[in-house]
Amino acid sequence: MASRGGAALLPRASRIKQKLQSALEASVLEVEDVSYQHAGHAAVKGNANETHFNLRIVSSKFSGQGLVKRHRMVYDLLGEELQSGLHAVSIVAKTPQEVGSN
Amino acid sequence: MATIANTSALHSSSSSSRTLNSILPPRKPLASRLSCTQRFNLSPNPLSISSRPNVSSKKRLSNLHVICAVKKLAETELVAVPAETEELAGKFPSSSGVYAVYDGNTELQFIGISRSISASVLAHRKSVPELCVTVKAGVVDEPDRTALTQAWKSWMEEHIGATGKVPPGNESGNAIWVKRSQKKSDLRLTPGRHVQLTVPLEELIDRLVKENKVVAFIKGSRSAPQCGFSQRVIGILEREGVDFESLDVLDEDHNTGLREALKRYSNWPTFPQIFLNGELLGGCDILTSMQEKGELTALFKK
Repeated sequence: MASRGGAALLPRASRIKQKLQSALEASVLEVEDVSYQHAGHAAVKGNANETHFNLRIVSSKFSGQGLVKRHRMVYDLLGEELQSGLHAVSIVAKTPQEVGSN
Repeated sequence: MATIANTSALHSSSSSSRTLNSILPPRKPLASRLSCTQRFNLSPNPLSISSRPNVSSKKRLSNLHVICAVKKLAETELVAVPAETEELAGKFPSSSGVYAVYDGNTELQFIGISRSISASVLAHRKSVPELCVTVKAGVVDEPDRTALTQAWKSWMEEHIGATGKVPPGNESGNAIWVKRSQKKSDLRLTPGRHVQLTVPLEELIDRLVKENKVVAFIKGSRSAPQCGFSQRVIGILEREGVDFESLDVLDEDHNTGLREALKRYSNWPTFPQIFLNGELLGGCDILTSMQEKGELTALFKK
């Protein structure tokens, strides 16, 4: 299914995509902006755009890493974004093998 | 006069059910599906009623037609509660519905409603094992509060109609069955904003997560989480029957600076954060994924 922001990727969404793609060489990378679900959220004041994303990443770089480690890899790549208004990301991080076995 | 003893009737969590209700789309009027005639003078939380008005209830109920979303109590299969808690989830539905708990002599002890029948049965089994031996469960497909209450009423009416007695656990003043739903309160780092910490915050966090088996750092309180992810995490921990401590990272009065300090301590930028035996287990996504894979029960049991 196409991600919601697929037609017109907003700046942060494309930055996220770029950063993750180049570092993780992901075979699947879905970036879905779900900020609209969190409008009115206590932490989202004023600039309510591009604060919440769902990420689905399949990368062989996750092999041999636990979930915490995988999420840390993603968070580390998105450090600047988290500093500059990205509020939360929901991460599904799998290896190609795990996807294949499902 | 019917008296209502407890305000936290929905066992799993009154706060999450409230939020659940508020996000659910409006339902069709129940009258089109159900026609349980209201017999008890019930306020919104019906799990406990006085036994006094039931002197005449048998007579009053005799000409009552009850059509409800769940099977009749008498027609519902009696299922033994397994000794091993891991097997429990497989025996009882984790969905919403009404359930009836029987003791070793197959005497009905309590009829309850729940957002997760298996979680409630597990809780009862832990708190009153001798009274929770077999259980009948009726899943309610459209589990808004009214439908659940209707299902509960239909079973209560059926039982009272058949025996003339209110299940002991549902009598007013009986707190055996519902007391567990009174939640623990959140931990606080200091008694107030004016109190200076004598140790660095990181050290306090370190002690906290090492001295307590499971600690959840959440946004909002455990009884009223202010973030959907925190709410989901609490729901998972409660469904697993985990005894956990919680801290509200948004409480700047009592937990001043906790948010930033915890991010540094755990090297994890978002909340909620769940610690097990001093180690970061992860956030909402990780906990959810571990639960889906069935890894949590064994993990928390260790």
